[in-house]
Amino acid sequence: MGPFVSQPIANPAAAGEPDFTRADLVFYGVDHSGPSFEARIFLNTPDAGLSTPRDPDSGYAGSFTIFGHAGCAGDAGHCDVPTGPADPFDVRPPHALTPQTKTVIITDALRRITDAELTIKIVPVRPGALSAELADTLQFDEFRLLTFL
Amino acid sequence: MSTGSVSPQKPAVPLRHRLNIDAMTSEQRAAFRAAMSSAMRVSDERGYNYQAGIHGLPLPISCDIAHGRPIFLPWHRAYLYFFELTLRDQQSGVTLPWWDWTTDRRVPEAYRETDVDGHPNPLYSAKVDPTALAQGAQAGDRRGAMTRREPGAAGAPPLPTASEISGVLALPSFLDFTHQLEQLHNNVHVWVGGHMGDIPFAAFDPIFWAHHAMIDRVWRMWQLRHPSAGVPHNLLGEALPPFNMTVRHTLDSNTLGYDYAVRSATSSGTGPAAETG
Repeated sequence: MGPFVSQPIANPAAAGEPDFTRADLVFYGVDHSGPSFEARIFLNTPDAGLSTPRDPDSGYAGSFTIFGHAGCAGDAGHCDVPTGPADPFDVRPPHALTPQTKTVIITDALRRITDAELTIKIVPVRPGALSAELADTLQFDEFRLLTFL
Repeated sequence: MSTGSVSPQKPAVPLRHRLNIDAMTSEQRAAFRAAMSSAMRVSDERGYNYQAGIHGLPLPISCDIAHGRPIFLPWHRAYLYFFELTLRDQQSGVTLPWWDWTTDRRVPEAYRETDVDGHPNPLYSAKVDPTALAQGAQAGDRRGAMTRREPGAAGAPPLPTASEISGVLALPSFLDFTHQLEQLHNNVHVWVGGHMGDIPFAAFDPIFWAHHAMIDRVWRMWQLRHPSAGVPHNLLGEALPPFNMTVRHTLDSNTLGYDYAVRSATSSGTGPAAETG
């Protein structure tokens, strides 16, 4: 997956909503099996791209970075994450490529958005000596926007 | 702290202190380089390549149990502890330096110099284990046989700032703290780029250890600021393979024999003061 744009969601920072002390964007089931990349997050900036500045005026809210596994160096099946119920007596650590959870604190960025709805744009970036490229390895199951009083 | 002890049955002894690479004396740097060079010449499990390979390739990639998980900090503290002992076996008295990327916004000079006194600088680049290279190639990841970097390449995430470190140090929950600190840690790996940029080869780059010493130092600072907080109890008995430690063993750096100091000066009591590690 390249860039991601969410469906509009209700903005907890919109006028009339309760105040909050902290806001988190939490991404569940994030794949880290490929090369490293940074996922830049923009609020209500659906056209954000590689060259969009990381500043409040651009809706920049923060980022998470995948420190990647960079492919599978083992034999066939080595990097397949087991599915199904686990043996209750199996005390081995979880599979190496069990998807991760990433939490990005976006409190200040969210407070700046007063629209009733929010869209989340994620721009995955792979740095390069000559130029940055859009990464195609962004994969996650879902995200939640959580606010805390 | 100045003293520590592995057991209440034993007397407290002086701790060794890890120093900022930019604050080390030329003698301290020379000793550290000598230890690294010596370890790089050893091809068995006492050597640099074996230690570096624990983190990534050759398989198994042992750090896989640590990244993105709550034992990120304990596992890497154990890793640094064993690596530092490896270096001290080669050159007694050396300690790992840290790279404070909040103030030194480039790869530190000690790691940028290609040659020192007419010899290749072991902090600039290191030879990568051939088995690791072969396994990486099998995964489609072909790397050079010597580590290299692309610091601050186009599109790289920025190095963490002092303000960001202050922010994570203020987080009162260990799980929140470690998650956010690991994120900043990831940014440094990708900012340095090259072999450091991905898990399989990162620890072959000599700067890996200075980066992780900084991360470990930030954890130490957080522990001092939040003495009543800590690692959740259900994690304390977690093993940290391949190290013969659990999370509990890593909680107090003083029981592991070290702490972090900005500067260290020692005097014999009869002569002029001299800075030491």
